[in-house]
Amino acid sequence: MNLNVTFVLSILPTVTLANGTGNTCCGTDNLMNLNPFWSMSTNTGRKRSDGEEQSGEQQQQRASPARPSFGKKQLPSIPKNAVPITKPASPAATAQLANGTHASYGPFYLEYSLLAEFTLVIKQKLPGIYVQPSYKSALMWFGVIFIRHGLYQDGVFKFTVYIPDNYPDGECPRVVFDIPVFHPLVDPVSGELDVRRAFTKWSSVPHGLFLQLDSDTALRNHNHIWQVLMYARTVFYKINTMEPLNPEAAVLYDKDVQLFKSKVIDSVKLCNSHLFDQPKMDDPYAISFSSWNPAIHDEAKERMFSHKRRPEDHQKGLQVSGLSWVKPGSTQPFSKDDNPPQS
Amino acid sequence: MEWMSWLSRLTPRGPGGRSSRNVASSSPCTADPETCLMVFENHWRQLSWVLEQQEPSGCSDDLTAVRNHTDQMLCLLAEERPGEVGEGPPGTLTSSTVPPVGPILGLVVTENVLERVVQWHLRRGLDPDSQGALLKLFEMLIGQSQQPLLQHKAVLQPLLGLLGACAEPQLGCPPSLENSLVLLLNQICVSMARAPAVLELLFRSAPVQHGPTNLLIFSLLVPFIHRDGAIGQQARDALLLVMATSASNQGVARYIAENSYFCPVLATGLSALYSSLPRKIEVRGDDWHALRREDWMGVSSLVLFMNSLEFCNAVIQVAHPLVRSQLVDYVHNGFLVPVMGPALHKSSVDEMIASTAYLDLFLRSVTETALLKTFLRFILMHRHDNDTILDTLLTRVSSNSRLCMVSLSLFRTLLSLNCEDLMLQLVLRYLLPCTHVMLSQRRAVRDTDLYGKSADKFLSLIPECCRLSVLPSAEREEEPAFWGKVLNSPSSESPVHPKPSTPSRLALFMRQQSTALPFTPSPTETVPSSPRGGPSTPLSPDSPMHPVPEGLDWESGYLEYLRDARRGVELCSWACRNWSAPYDGEDPSPNTAPLLPPPPTSNPSLAMFPEHFSFQQGGGEAMLSTQSEAVERLISELLDGAGPGEGGQQGPGEGGQQGPGDSNGQGISIEAFTQELRELEERVRERSRGVGDPDSEEPLPPSPLDSDLIGNGAGAGVEPKVVGSAVGLCSPARPLGQPSAQPYTGPFMVVLFAKLENMLQNSLYVNILLTGILCQLACYPQPLLRSFLLNTNMVFQPSVKSLIQVLGSVKNRIEVFAASHEDFPAMLRKAQRYLVARGKVDWADSSPMGVPTLRRSDSLVKSRKPSLGDLIMRHTNSPTRARHAAQLALAHVRDGGQSLHSALFRGGTGGGASGLEKQVEALRVKNAVYCAVIFSEFLKELAALAQEHAVSMPFLQSHDTEELSSVLNF
Repeated sequence: MNLNVTFVLSILPTVTLANGTGNTCCGTDNLMNLNPFWSMSTNTGRKRSDGEEQSGEQQQQRASPARPSFGKKQLPSIPKNAVPITKPASPAATAQLANGTHASYGPFYLEYSLLAEFTLVIKQKLPGIYVQPSYKSALMWFGVIFIRHGLYQDGVFKFTVYIPDNYPDGECPRVVFDIPVFHPLVDPVSGELDVRRAFTKWSSVPHGLFLQLDSDTALRNHNHIWQVLMYARTVFYKINTMEPLNPEAAVLYDKDVQLFKSKVIDSVKLCNSHLFDQPKMDDPYAISFSSWNPAIHDEAKERMFSHKRRPEDHQKGLQVSGLSWVKPGSTQPFSKDDNPPQS
Repeated sequence: MEWMSWLSRLTPRGPGGRSSRNVASSSPCTADPETCLMVFENHWRQLSWVLEQQEPSGCSDDLTAVRNHTDQMLCLLAEERPGEVGEGPPGTLTSSTVPPVGPILGLVVTENVLERVVQWHLRRGLDPDSQGALLKLFEMLIGQSQQPLLQHKAVLQPLLGLLGACAEPQLGCPPSLENSLVLLLNQICVSMARAPAVLELLFRSAPVQHGPTNLLIFSLLVPFIHRDGAIGQQARDALLLVMATSASNQGVARYIAENSYFCPVLATGLSALYSSLPRKIEVRGDDWHALRREDWMGVSSLVLFMNSLEFCNAVIQVAHPLVRSQLVDYVHNGFLVPVMGPALHKSSVDEMIASTAYLDLFLRSVTETALLKTFLRFILMHRHDNDTILDTLLTRVSSNSRLCMVSLSLFRTLLSLNCEDLMLQLVLRYLLPCTHVMLSQRRAVRDTDLYGKSADKFLSLIPECCRLSVLPSAEREEEPAFWGKVLNSPSSESPVHPKPSTPSRLALFMRQQSTALPFTPSPTETVPSSPRGGPSTPLSPDSPMHPVPEGLDWESGYLEYLRDARRGVELCSWACRNWSAPYDGEDPSPNTAPLLPPPPTSNPSLAMFPEHFSFQQGGGEAMLSTQSEAVERLISELLDGAGPGEGGQQGPGEGGQQGPGDSNGQGISIEAFTQELRELEERVRERSRGVGDPDSEEPLPPSPLDSDLIGNGAGAGVEPKVVGSAVGLCSPARPLGQPSAQPYTGPFMVVLFAKLENMLQNSLYVNILLTGILCQLACYPQPLLRSFLLNTNMVFQPSVKSLIQVLGSVKNRIEVFAASHEDFPAMLRKAQRYLVARGKVDWADSSPMGVPTLRRSDSLVKSRKPSLGDLIMRHTNSPTRARHAAQLALAHVRDGGQSLHSALFRGGTGGGASGLEKQVEALRVKNAVYCAVIFSEFLKELAALAQEHAVSMPFLQSHDTEELSSVLNF
């Protein structure tokens, strides 16, 4: 079922790393400079089959012929046997479900909550971390972490975030590295990072660990996915060996740091040597690396650096907008100095 | 209005057009240059002989000879191509930069031919005939010449001599020659625009005697600024070229600002033109609320005004800053304050409606920031009788329907500007102190609806009774799949719902969509069983798509709302990215909030309207007041206005715009309708009185029926708290002594909420405008405003009414109403279908609807007023179909059962009441049912906005030049 996916694309214009998250990519990091031969691109090769595409077009045409920009955003029916994903229904919610109207908005809530989480991630501008929701499900995000210094310096670790489908009321999201990094908190077999220890009570009162980071907006009462990502980065800078998932690593770190270091170096090398592998997940939005190809990447880079986000259709009627003659710090209208005659 | 369009308008008169005329005139000298030169010299020999006659004989032979020779010679001159390189004779002013002149021009320069010709004429005494001939000759010469001429003093001086003569008081320019003069000036300006150096020459080399008015072309053009027709247009084009050319010339700019009457003439001309605009806008169609282009194109006085306003706008766009700022000042002090201000405060309802609609039109037409600033400064800062214009406009929102609609429309325009100063004055300054929220909640001001809680709350307010359409098919209503589904769940080929064809609520009304949908002639009634009801779905009935329950169409437009909301939020936050502060409850600090102005204690303009509703805020419940005296006054006013002997009310400046018997033909206007409604009530009352207590009562007691029908139209028992009792009218602004003592969210919010609370009684169109404005406000990303409107978890101070409270109260009223009307579901469905059809009706290009002619009104109009053309709003021939629909909506009250619309509600009002009672009841029911439809859609809109705010990304401030360039737009 692909129609639903295209819907999401339109909802989520920021989803592609190549343009949408320009801030993240170019703002705080010098990814390009540090790794001039790497480029990240999203694997957009796989598209819908033609038949599906067509049915989508028809759908679109029938519905609103004059609105091509918003794409195919038909919400198709969920199969009856699909797991209901809405919040565990309170009695009231069930009642609404029964009469059919209200509950149908439920999916929007979850989807928008995840979009809001993603928006928060972008706003946080996490250093060295890039994520991108998958093409197939908003509950799965692909990510990559660049480690700039410390024991894991030069490590580039791809990972996947799995968000429980009863989000935000469920447990905390899981972070699984594509290749199990040699690390006390990373399961040597599955590659899963022990996130739960940092978020013992997901979605509850703010967690001490991130209280000080909790500066910006709306973040006081709940945990957020960006905090998980931040945590996934922190573990590589501050090694914690308590209750390890990889006892060997923990023991080595405590007893024989040199050996630990060399194992880490090996692990980093191993990870980096698989960097150009096909993405583990067959998903158009999975993060894949390729060597620098000027024909493709120069232009993309150019666009990244010159991109200025504008509203989708800002041209019409917006020549005059955003008027303000309020002097900063004042609350009086027309307090700004009369604009001196410009030439 | 754009500069480009001005330029492009000029091109037809540019070189292209000229040369074609050239060819047509097939001049005698397509011969080689040498022959031409010889011919020219020959003419010149003979001509100079005549010119050298010591005493001009005054004999017509001389004149004829001079004219003939001059004609020939100037033709030759115009035809001549520039000389080869190195050929140029001396005597040119800028010989180094200009290509060498041809031999004929060389001769003209060395012999000073033109100067001698002109001087000869002037010495002789210029008769209009010769003056005209010279003007035409020069116009031809400048327009057609193959080489630049105006750089040569030998051409420029005689030209200025001729123009100087035209400017002289004793000679002047006779009206018959004005066309030639303006055309010549226009040509000069076109050449000047091509070679800006000419401007400096024109400016410097003026004859000394002209002194300060040394930019002759300019002072000659100014009187034509406001002229009608082609001549005015040419003059404005020419002036605009001067403006553009002089944009970087300080000297010329100073001259224009200090020594010419350009700016005052332009600005005060607006005043003069405004005074000749119709004082009364007559509309058929109860949805009319703003002047659209098609509305004013047929009104010559308004076209004239708009031409001049657009010219002002264009001048401000291209002129030197000195000129720009002077013009802006003159527009403020010479037009807005002395003319627009009083016009907005006129005491008659018609004039208020007209002036408000004009102001709205002007605001929508102006594109230049500097000019907009002047308008906004006028609206926000100028005090007329102690009240700002904004105060006055705010009071109008609570007035009767038409004035309310026009005022709402103006506010919609204002809000669309995304102007910080405006929003500060209108809303934000009242929210800045944060006193409206509980102290503990202040931090939550910045929260967004991360988990859809607010959206859920809004949607939960959709009344049960409005969800009926899905009920019968609840089990068929499958839950839509969505992106967030579990990965492994089988993605299936389950049938998809057709995309809801619901036009979003706005589209129902605004009709600006270019969407061209195929429109089938019978919108609703003939295919009641069609699953999708809407004609927009090309699906054949036997389509494989499984049938969608009727009404789903309407129900499931939520995605559309999300999309609209996304666009709205994005555009708004983009537009606000350069504001001075985020307004997030911390910046600006609540402590620096400005001292709020004392609200008006009494409101003169409000007291005018008997049927407006005013609300006391503190009580929490709306207090409805009607005033029987005022009712009478209104009725008499309406009767006066409608009576055949009207005119007593019209101002002296009415001019010729308003023919006799104008207002008789007003067709269906809200005002007339209100009056009619009152008459109906009167008769109902009379009748009932006749039964019980025959003719003993005084004519017009303050009747409970009044408030019941008009104020509380929802019918008996709906909201007993709403009483038509209070005699005193109170303004929507609540007195406030100290800003911090009692939290107050400002008159705008108060009046909007009051109006919203009254939704059940509002007309459909008021409700559409009203909810549209609230949605516009809800698009603003400033946390203070966003949290006030959209955060349903916010706890406000007890005295502050929240949007969710108001909505809750409306919900209850709708549900009570629905419970008391057993056929509510059917009516609701009909209303939905009608609105869907209405939303589509405007972009259907055939005229399929067998419009039942509005017999009475239409024929009345036609019979009484044959010369409809010039009068505003007389769309006898070009009513949009939407207007038809609107008329239909109203027509059922009159025609009882004839129209489509009345068919919708036929049988809805049972009971054995009289026909009149039935009709009155029908109106109340109609408003309430439409309200139920709009209300549900409004809630979806708000929910969608709450969700979109949570996922919108902020835009970076822009201080770069790209903005500038897009504004300058050369």
